[in-house]
Amino acid sequence: MPLSSYSIPPERLAAARRSFAAIVGAQNLFFDAEDQDSYSDAFAVDDSRHRPAGAIAPDTVEQIQAIVRVAAEHRIPLWPISRGKNLGYGGSAPVLEGSVILDLSRMKKIEYDEENGTVLLEPGVGFYDLYDFLKARGLKHWLSTPGNSWGSVIGNALDRGVGYTPYGEHTTKLCGMEVVLADGTLVRTGMGALTGSPTWQLYRFGFGPAWDQMFVQSNLGIVTKAGLWLMPEPESLMGMDLEFDRPEDLGPLIDAIAPLRREGVLQQSPTIGNWLRAAAILTTRAEWTDQKGALSDTVIAAIRKKFQMGWWGVSLRLYGRETINREAYSILESEMNKLKPLSMKRTSWKRGDPLEMTGWTGTPLTFPMQNANWHGGLGGHIGFSPVLPQSGTAAMEQFRRTYQRYQEFGMDYQASFAFGERHLINVNAILLDKDDPDMMRRVDPFIRTLVADAKAHGYGEYRTHLDYMDLVASTYDFNGGALGKLNAKVKAALDPFGIIAPGKSGIGTAAGQSGDR
Amino acid sequence: MNGLATVTRGGLLALLAVLSAAPAQPAEQKDPAAAAAPAARPGPPSPPPPLTLSARPSAKGGERLYVQYCGMCHGKGGMGTGLLARRTDRPLLEERNDLTVDYVIQAARTGIGNMPPIPRGEVSDADIKQIAAYLTTPKARGGR
Repeated sequence: MPLSSYSIPPERLAAARRSFAAIVGAQNLFFDAEDQDSYSDAFAVDDSRHRPAGAIAPDTVEQIQAIVRVAAEHRIPLWPISRGKNLGYGGSAPVLEGSVILDLSRMKKIEYDEENGTVLLEPGVGFYDLYDFLKARGLKHWLSTPGNSWGSVIGNALDRGVGYTPYGEHTTKLCGMEVVLADGTLVRTGMGALTGSPTWQLYRFGFGPAWDQMFVQSNLGIVTKAGLWLMPEPESLMGMDLEFDRPEDLGPLIDAIAPLRREGVLQQSPTIGNWLRAAAILTTRAEWTDQKGALSDTVIAAIRKKFQMGWWGVSLRLYGRETINREAYSILESEMNKLKPLSMKRTSWKRGDPLEMTGWTGTPLTFPMQNANWHGGLGGHIGFSPVLPQSGTAAMEQFRRTYQRYQEFGMDYQASFAFGERHLINVNAILLDKDDPDMMRRVDPFIRTLVADAKAHGYGEYRTHLDYMDLVASTYDFNGGALGKLNAKVKAALDPFGIIAPGKSGIGTAAGQSGDR
Repeated sequence: MNGLATVTRGGLLALLAVLSAAPAQPAEQKDPAAAAAPAARPGPPSPPPPLTLSARPSAKGGERLYVQYCGMCHGKGGMGTGLLARRTDRPLLEERNDLTVDYVIQAARTGIGNMPPIPRGEVSDADIKQIAAYLTTPKARGGR
């Protein structure tokens, strides 16, 4: 049985804390009750879970190496965070209650190769930090930002977060890492393994097996630096914001966008969102109804009318040379007009014009998190995000099935369908009302039902909250869960005492914490 | 993507512009192509730019720390500003004249409303005191 909490024997923790203090200074150890609260998951469904024992905040790689050695000696589970803003997936909290947070938010070094358009970042560099750094140098390169840009650039890429520009699949823009292993060894991947190589951030694969993705959504090491490719500022940006009137418009819209994306006419990653994704930021539920349970069609119609929203909306953008964008724009517009959208708002920008301050230009944002206030009081959200094929039929079926479950469990449906090159991710943000205990009790069975429904159709999630890492890992079950067994074997080889993020992605929940502890 | 998304829908941007009282920027609606579009409607103004240090190069001490650690949510167009605008007519903390040092520190450390707590590893006790002092000194008032 996986452990969900671990109480470090007090004398062992005390000994470890003395050693940690010698490494980072007592002022960078945080073990008060208030610290335990502040590193817990602010959006938790159950506030009693995932509470850490405390936190340590190193600011050098050498300190991290020393910390893992002490942690191994005293069997202290560490939970590394870059900035801890992974809200909806657990924030700064560990899977295993009682772990010690390894807070890397003080590590903020940025190395910029302007000619090649790459950066080498430490984990504490946030999207706002990198935006500010680039802005001070004339924004010759653009970021790709997620809807909550409060967090870490590489932390987001390491959890496979996405943005909305042609560089929106962040994890595929990583190029070269520096990693501390559980025994304290420092490894550089790709061309970084070649001492002093000028191509560390230019060629992703190096020689022989390439390990970068092994450290993504994983607990096999602590990433202390990562390279990232940045998009050169385009000459031109063109596109359109579209609204569609009916739920059933989703399928044809997906079937129209998908070939354009695969062909490369469209190079960014559009995301089709329902009306509530926009409305939950603009207004609160109580302004429209006092009825509990899923919103009625009448209320939905009233909200849509007020904000002039379609049932679905999508923004398409073209990046690059103006002449090419003009031609591509004509194709996009012609294809979209065939679908008879409710509205189409065109946008066009040329270098030197004022820039739209949105995710389409890689501007960092936090206002989408205003949806935490949808229910009026203490809120939050938790994600359910299965990967689907790029098929209108499959997406419509997933939508109908999921919508029905939202009705059944009395939840308000907020969802989007986000394009990759060959896949769709159906991101559902379940908007929590932490002041409504009855609703909060329904969240866990609701999510378990959604995971089971998806699994029944061969779909699995791309990312999940701490509470569901074991569950989601268990749905990847080919050949008796061979992948999970491989992960466990690698984990046991690299981290026999299970000190790095036990339980992350369902790895190492049982092995490292049994027996010896 | 944290289950969220960048929303560029008209109503939202218009509302943000009102909330933040940002100077309206020219709407971007040059015709990129000759083809006719259905029901094209005037574009709303763009949201304000993020509050980061390059926008306040002369900021020092508590102001600098405030911009660096709080600007993403408490600048114009940020989540904190948007939610405070539902409760107060002075949503920008830098324009408030009713904050106390203890209140600012308590709100940041324990979280308040939908604002998550800010841990000590991210913003040290010394830095948070400087931020609170900045937000409660007279020179900080009067609007930016």
